[in-house]
Amino acid sequence: MIDVRDLRKEYGGFMAVDGVSFGVDPGEVFGIVGPNGAGKTTTLKSVAGLVEPTDGVVEVGGAPADARETRRRLGFLPEESPLYEEMSALSYLRFFADLYDVPRDVADTRIHDALDRLELDHRRRPLGDTSKGMRRKVAIARSLVNDPDVVVYDEPASGLDPLTTNYVVEFTRELADEGRTVVFSAHNLYHVEEVCDRVAIMNEGAVVAKGRLEELRERYGRTEYHVYTTVEVPEAVADNGHYRRVVEGMDDVRRVETAAEERGGEVADIRTVEPSLERLFLDLASADDRAEA
Amino acid sequence: MRPRKLLRIARWETTTGVGGVDRGAIAVVLAAIAFVGAVGVVGFVGGVAIEDGIYRVGVDEDSRFHAPAAEDPSLAVVEPDPAVVADGRLETGQGYDIHVRETADGTRLYLAEAGGEPTEKSRAAATAFREAVEAHNERRMRLESNETAAFPVVVTLEFVARDDADGAEAGGDGDSGSGGSGGGTGDGSGSGDGDDTGGPGGPSDGTGTGTGDGGVGAPSLGAFDLFGTADTAGSPSDISPPFPFQSLVLAFVFVLPLNFLIQAYGSSMLAERLDRRGELLLVAPVSPAEIVFGKTLPYFAAALGITTVIVAGLRLLGGGAGPLSVLAVVPLALLFLATTFLGAMFARSYKELTFVSVTVSTLLTTYAFVPAVFAGTSPVAFVSPLTIAVRDLTGAGVTVGQLAFATGPATLVAGVCFLLGLGVYREEDLFTQRPVHLKALDALAGRIRRPRSLVLVVALMVPFVFVAELLVVVLLFVLPVAVSVPLVFGAIAVVEELAKGVPVYAGFVRGRYDRTLGAAVAAGSAAGVGFFLAEKLSLAVQVVGLPEVAVADAAFQTGLGAGAGVVALLAVAPLLLHVVTATVSAVGGSRGRRGFLAGLAAAALLHLCYNVAVVSRLV
Repeated sequence: MIDVRDLRKEYGGFMAVDGVSFGVDPGEVFGIVGPNGAGKTTTLKSVAGLVEPTDGVVEVGGAPADARETRRRLGFLPEESPLYEEMSALSYLRFFADLYDVPRDVADTRIHDALDRLELDHRRRPLGDTSKGMRRKVAIARSLVNDPDVVVYDEPASGLDPLTTNYVVEFTRELADEGRTVVFSAHNLYHVEEVCDRVAIMNEGAVVAKGRLEELRERYGRTEYHVYTTVEVPEAVADNGHYRRVVEGMDDVRRVETAAEERGGEVADIRTVEPSLERLFLDLASADDRAEA
Repeated sequence: MRPRKLLRIARWETTTGVGGVDRGAIAVVLAAIAFVGAVGVVGFVGGVAIEDGIYRVGVDEDSRFHAPAAEDPSLAVVEPDPAVVADGRLETGQGYDIHVRETADGTRLYLAEAGGEPTEKSRAAATAFREAVEAHNERRMRLESNETAAFPVVVTLEFVARDDADGAEAGGDGDSGSGGSGGGTGDGSGSGDGDDTGGPGGPSDGTGTGTGDGGVGAPSLGAFDLFGTADTAGSPSDISPPFPFQSLVLAFVFVLPLNFLIQAYGSSMLAERLDRRGELLLVAPVSPAEIVFGKTLPYFAAALGITTVIVAGLRLLGGGAGPLSVLAVVPLALLFLATTFLGAMFARSYKELTFVSVTVSTLLTTYAFVPAVFAGTSPVAFVSPLTIAVRDLTGAGVTVGQLAFATGPATLVAGVCFLLGLGVYREEDLFTQRPVHLKALDALAGRIRRPRSLVLVVALMVPFVFVAELLVVVLLFVLPVAVSVPLVFGAIAVVEELAKGVPVYAGFVRGRYDRTLGAAVAAGSAAGVGFFLAEKLSLAVQVVGLPEVAVADAAFQTGLGAGAGVVALLAVAPLLLHVVTATVSAVGGSRGRRGFLAGLAAAALLHLCYNVAVVSRLV
């Protein structure tokens, strides 16, 4: 559904995105993570047809991203959602429905459905008088007025309280369950891990890793072993009546076991912990920095 | 561009524009407008009445002085009381400023006194009374069937144009020999084309009563006379030399609302950028042109609506206004909006926008207003579209050529401004804080793909150059020729070299072509050719006879009046000049910013030398 090949974008001599390539299948949720300035937003805006690539190809459904027909089937949510604050939610959404050529009756049904799903009240109140969370929900509803096949969300939960954030994350997952293709970026890696089928980790304008989470863990991750002992061993911390030491690799596990036996104790339990996306991200980013140094 | 989308955006812009203003504020503004309008109409119809009834005059109803006093609004006629005049004196505080008493011996006028001396007010009242009587007499004499008896002496006043050393025609186009409103001697000596509408011709035997309004230099005021300047009949002392008050006021009335409109328009355009609201419109399946023109349409419609109301109002008051007046404001409204749009695309804050909009207001008001003041007295007036409106309102005719000349450059410049603004109506220019000069280069570079693209891009700059040169002419034509012509030569050289050099430099900066000597020569040549071809538009100045003004001829170098060889040389020599100077700028531009500035200076100097050495000797 989405095909990005060797995307490059230069701003006045600064290469914001440098050779990014990825593809997203229909119904898939694809996450882009990375530190500030990694090129996530530029990449998403290229997919939304907002930014003209300096080089490379960005296609949605086989058509150029900036083609009018592509924009008709795409819903974009920027990181900040400035609205026309003089307008009410209803008039704002109707205006955008008109721009997307959605018939009035269909638009009204769709708008009320979206607002119901988002539990949005005060539909006739000027948007300037509503809370940030409500405005974000209106922005999400706007991204859906054209019933898009492809949804591109840049930090959809940015600046929202935890309750609204969870709501938005779950809603994003629901969109994918309805068969839409979803691409989104997030700072909170937990949410990406919750929702995404696949992720790309970006750093300094380039994709440093991409794939399914399991693949990434397998390829880049280091499995951690939490070794619980009955006696205190070096670098262990007290944990629920035992002492816990975190190590990597079976050699280290054996060394902890030996240390416990030397102190008259034994290993009570060994647990395997898969690396989190955050751990992977930090490892890859620091590896990237080390390679540069 | 799809009209339905455009109209939808226009409707939305209207809604949000009106919605953004507090209803209470709208009510207050409407009330203020209604109040000012009402006061204006009352003042216009009834005149300014601060002196009404200020002097109290005691005069008997049967007196022959009763009517003159009653007709003068500054005099309040009260029933005379003979008792108040004691010992031939009228003391102040008796309820009279002056007291008229008619006896068998004649008429006596008593002035209110204080301390044995007439008061200042009573003296003024006496003067007003005397003027009222004179005016009354004159009105009566005009009604006489025997004009010779009423006015045994005829004085003909002729307003003669300033003797311009270069033979500039400043006489306008008054009637030529058809007499004026009063007939006069019927030998008005206007030198124009006689398309004004004078009054009925009087007897040609030198016995008319008026002086004729078709004299040289006097603007023909037609049927609509805002300040009574057309009233040239009467005592010679009452007749003032012509001053284009009417043109001044009409031009002001048309330009003023545009200045308010562009403030709202500029703010709306900038608001889309500053808080990134416009980003979502760019993602929608609408083109930048649909967005821009949809947002512009309500302001353009408002400009036309206001103009129509003004024209209708002036028509009600007796003006000869019609659709031509509204049509004349169209290019001006477009120009105001287009330049504001371009400014809003470049401004990075409301502070910068204020600077831009004030600059636009000042420059364009000067461009529109100053020439229009001379409507009917100088061909320079046709630089401004407003001149068409003023002439329409005053009943003067306009040829198709004059209409095209007055409206064409403004329309073209407006079109190019919109085109350039659309070039930067994209995400990376709208929502970033790029310096203005870089955005300007982006706007130009957006239309450049390779050196030969410069033929078109530089040609698009020519309307700007044309208007800038017209502005230079307008500003300098009142100066002595010895001063104005050298200044024009210098200004023209700089303006034209900037128009050619900056697009070439934009191409280098944005990497549209390599920074090599070959590319610089190719780009410079293309720019020179593009400019040469497009500047032939400037020959349009001949349509309105502008080259007859020396400073204009220096600016546009038509070679009018010279031999065929000179005209041919002036047609080809500029091609060589523009190619060479543009190439000099381009070679400098290929070396970077400092190189470009040095190249540009060298090109301007070369151009100035050409103007001085070639044009000044040939023209």
